[in-house]
Amino acid sequence: MTTIHHADPSETMESMPAQISMPYTLTPGQATGIFLAELRNRRLIGSRHGDGTILVPAQDFCGSTGEPVTNFVEVAAAGELQAFTTTARGTIGMVLIDGTSTPFVHQILQADPAALEIGTRVEAVWAVEATGTFLDLAGFRPAGNPNTFEPRESPGDLAEPLQQVDYRMTLDYQHAYGQYYGTLFDGVKNSRRIRGVRCSECRKVLLPPRSHCDVCFAPTHEWIDVKPTGTIQACSVVHIEFIGQRLTPPYIYAEIVLDGSSTRLIHMVGGDAANADKHAVEPGNRVRAVWSERRTGSLADIEHFELLPADEDPS
Amino acid sequence: MTRVAIVGTGQTVHARRRTDVSQAGLAREAAVEALADAGLTMDDIDSVVVASGPAMFGAVNQPEKWLVDALGARYKPLVRVTSGGGTGLAGALAAINQIKAGAARRVLVVAYDKLSEGQLQASISTLYDPFWGREFAVGIMGFSAAYWHARIKRLGHTEEAAAMVAVKNRHHAMANPKAHVKKEVTVEEVLASRPLCWPIKILDVPPISDGACAVILAADQDAESITSTPAWIHGMAYYCEADNAADRSMLQSEPLQIAAANVYKAAGITNPFRQFDVAEVQEPYTCFELSYYEGLGLCPAGGAAELVASGATTMGGELPVNPSGGCMGANPIGATALIRLAEAAMQVTGKAGAHQVPNASRALVQAGGGWANLRGVAVVGAEKN
Amino acid sequence: MTSSTPGRVAVVNSAQTLLTSSWSDRQHIDLISEAVSRALKGTGIRLEDVDFVIDSGSDFLDGRSISNCGFLGAMGAHHKEESRVEEDGLWSLTYAANKIACGSAAVGLVVAYSKPSESDVSAFWTGLLEPFIQRPTGLDQFSAAGLYAQRYLAKAGLKADDLHDVSRRAWERAARNPFVDVDEVPDDRSFWFEDVATPLRRSDMARPVDGAVAVLVANAEVADQIAKRPVWITGQGSAIDQHFLAAREPDSLPACEAAGRTALRATGAASAKEFDIVEVSGTSTVGELMVLEALGLAEPHRGIDLYRDEGSSGINPSGGALPADVIMATGLARLHEAASRLSGRTGSPQDGLDNARTALVHGTGGFAMQNHCVVTMAAAS
Ligand SMILES: [Zn+2]
Ligand SMILES: [Zn+2]
Repeated sequence: MTTIHHADPSETMESMPAQISMPYTLTPGQATGIFLAELRNRRLIGSRHGDGTILVPAQDFCGSTGEPVTNFVEVAAAGELQAFTTTARGTIGMVLIDGTSTPFVHQILQADPAALEIGTRVEAVWAVEATGTFLDLAGFRPAGNPNTFEPRESPGDLAEPLQQVDYRMTLDYQHAYGQYYGTLFDGVKNSRRIRGVRCSECRKVLLPPRSHCDVCFAPTHEWIDVKPTGTIQACSVVHIEFIGQRLTPPYIYAEIVLDGSSTRLIHMVGGDAANADKHAVEPGNRVRAVWSERRTGSLADIEHFELLPADEDPS
Repeated sequence: MTRVAIVGTGQTVHARRRTDVSQAGLAREAAVEALADAGLTMDDIDSVVVASGPAMFGAVNQPEKWLVDALGARYKPLVRVTSGGGTGLAGALAAINQIKAGAARRVLVVAYDKLSEGQLQASISTLYDPFWGREFAVGIMGFSAAYWHARIKRLGHTEEAAAMVAVKNRHHAMANPKAHVKKEVTVEEVLASRPLCWPIKILDVPPISDGACAVILAADQDAESITSTPAWIHGMAYYCEADNAADRSMLQSEPLQIAAANVYKAAGITNPFRQFDVAEVQEPYTCFELSYYEGLGLCPAGGAAELVASGATTMGGELPVNPSGGCMGANPIGATALIRLAEAAMQVTGKAGAHQVPNASRALVQAGGGWANLRGVAVVGAEKN
Repeated sequence: MTSSTPGRVAVVNSAQTLLTSSWSDRQHIDLISEAVSRALKGTGIRLEDVDFVIDSGSDFLDGRSISNCGFLGAMGAHHKEESRVEEDGLWSLTYAANKIACGSAAVGLVVAYSKPSESDVSAFWTGLLEPFIQRPTGLDQFSAAGLYAQRYLAKAGLKADDLHDVSRRAWERAARNPFVDVDEVPDDRSFWFEDVATPLRRSDMARPVDGAVAVLVANAEVADQIAKRPVWITGQGSAIDQHFLAAREPDSLPACEAAGRTALRATGAASAKEFDIVEVSGTSTVGELMVLEALGLAEPHRGIDLYRDEGSSGINPSGGALPADVIMATGLARLHEAASRLSGRTGSPQDGLDNARTALVHGTGGFAMQNHCVVTMAAAS
């Protein structure tokens, strides 16, 4: 899932790359499921709705009317081009399959865009190997055969609908540090200082820092050094494993209020004393930051927090 | 003053995974059932509000744009409200405002999530600020367990008390035909079950579900002409709390307390424990139900463990909480809050079947989301308020 | 028009940050809190007087789930009623107006923002497509606009170069708009002639920008008290089209027409031409033309005439969405621009609109303008 790559320390702290990438098992529904399953057989299946509308690819519901599918038809893998556009990624067109009511969008392949026209006859290009997605129908190309075709009603030999399409969604980000997080994490990286800001009204010290107090909405002007020691406000012991997890369980999830601040820092509690009996670590326990060898300008510069022995507690 | 009522409700049969419908088809099932319940068609609906969890649950950005076709909503006003797990209630609140303002007469609210399609914990972990703790997140489970731990210490919300919530709600789900988890458990089994984020154990956690719920809202005489049993909304509110607010101890949920105070005032509630016949609350983990008892004023702070142990919140008790089984019977997150509202409407109109609380006429609804910082409350009654 | 009848709702102030292609040194919360504090400033309304916040933003653009959750403090929403409408901010505005009109609140804050510079904007647009049939084809915001444009230009008898009239005027006006980071109309050849999706060029596509907009709305009692010249909301309408792009009308926007019709009916106006100012959101030049035609400001396929006639200075005096598309906030930015002029808050822009009293504002959402919202306003005379 979320992997955070930390910038090279020599780079300026302007933004932090982050990626959200997760696998999905999507269900297409009955009609589209049948349509996708039949692509393997190189057949195009449409759906008939209410007044006689035929949609290809087959749909469970007609977007124009909301009518559900009444029966399926098999259509020829040929039709005409109703619109097209060429971008850096190729040509995309709207194809109206013979005998159907609305076009659909697909790639136009093996064509010189300059030679295409609205009304150009096109035919299907099939993928060499079927993978169970819409791209089993790779696209359309200008057709040699000028004949048009009629849909075949209610084919009796339809495939079972495909029940799952595997998908991965990956979203990339460059999150800006901005002035406030920038100052905080610059201090963390370069001088192992943790700084918050003081609200001009309620006088609370806020961490992470920001321009306005969340409660008073008053501006925060003053930077305040916060201690690397604090109190566990709440903690739990993570045992669960899940896809996309960034840390290996078990570990102690903790929300810590650092001495001199009034807000939550989220981190983990480690070290020998805590690990000896994780369930014994409790809200109210005193902790201190254990700095890492890393200098990344992020919370990862803190290896973890460790329990603070009473005789070493500065408070 | 315009008074708004629920005139139809519908729910899918919730399941761990529905491979026979798409996200859009799932939402439609609930809408079709609600329309049938109200005796209406889409032609009678002026406006649609869709509610669902974060778009990253299902890999479709603004999924309402896709649902339009399945809902037959072309050329109608359609908007999606998303406010974490409580989004179904936030959606209903948006619909109520449309009706009261005269912008629409009849509004269909559809809430759904098809959680079997994505990675739940990984998705929810992206709730965290990418700079501030996301790598430690386990959805909100680590967070929720941490603050339960604090409430165990400070308020006596013991593991046993939470286990009683699990026992109660799973027992209630046995009578709910829409629930998909039907297995009774004992306190001992809950306590001995595998820790996921200790003190949260696997039997403190609801299932992951595919499901949808729909509710149709209308006002005054129109509502009375649609059904002989409108469920009147006596009050509804949805409050928030800034996650980074200073001194946020979270021992009590302040937005919940604020929402409850406002809704109780509107509904004339001064003694919630006595005045409500039934409550439906959204408990993403058992520990939250204990916290809600206190936030909703059903017992004093620190009294939740005693309340659940007394049996008062079990079916047959003075104030049954979650006769539907709550989230323990099914938890399609984006739909869950609207399910609570629909269940409350069913209770006060005598339509809850095998899990009907006898003679229920006034119901309390609670919902919420985010990291416990979005909190909604509603009161639903058989009597026109 | 200006009497304080119950149920009336006014825009009492509004503000936006500078709209710029990349606010690389500021976070979302910085932009949001700037817009909110400027919307409150000088109104006499303190944050504690605000009853609720309705906000628009996008989890996909923000890279965060339930992203409103992390921005509540910056929005001034702490311990208030709050809801996220994951659609352009103009829909949030209508929610807020409803809430006040029905008497359940007196003062509301509407916030919309985005920072597309932090994300892959194409992933936002293609993520809107259902994932089975459309998304795998590589269809994106550019090719969708190109498909509309090819059919539209053919019907209208126009060439791609003719669309320069639309984009040139938009960028000229943006250059005069102090809240858009445009100093002058781009003069590089590639901007005007490089194909991005035939027949469209770079100059035909809306430019994503970062920014935040905040609008303060109030009931008549409050508005009459605090605003020198309250701007009353007189009508609203919205409508959505079907999802599949190829199934929609080829060269017109019937959902926009439906939204406009509803708003005009509420306002009691016979035509959109009655409004002194019209601010619309188009994700492309052809999109902008189709919006103007759907609203009845031009006959079908004749929208271009509005750009060949200097008389139509009241259409997008701000420059519109082409030079500055804040994606989740563009419609609300249109409302801010129009309301500022109606209330006389923009000083003397010297564009002949000093005496403008009424405005019609349009916002859009979804892939290739699937969803439309129209709000009408009138200033106290
Ligand atoms: Zn403060
Ligand atoms: Zn353990």
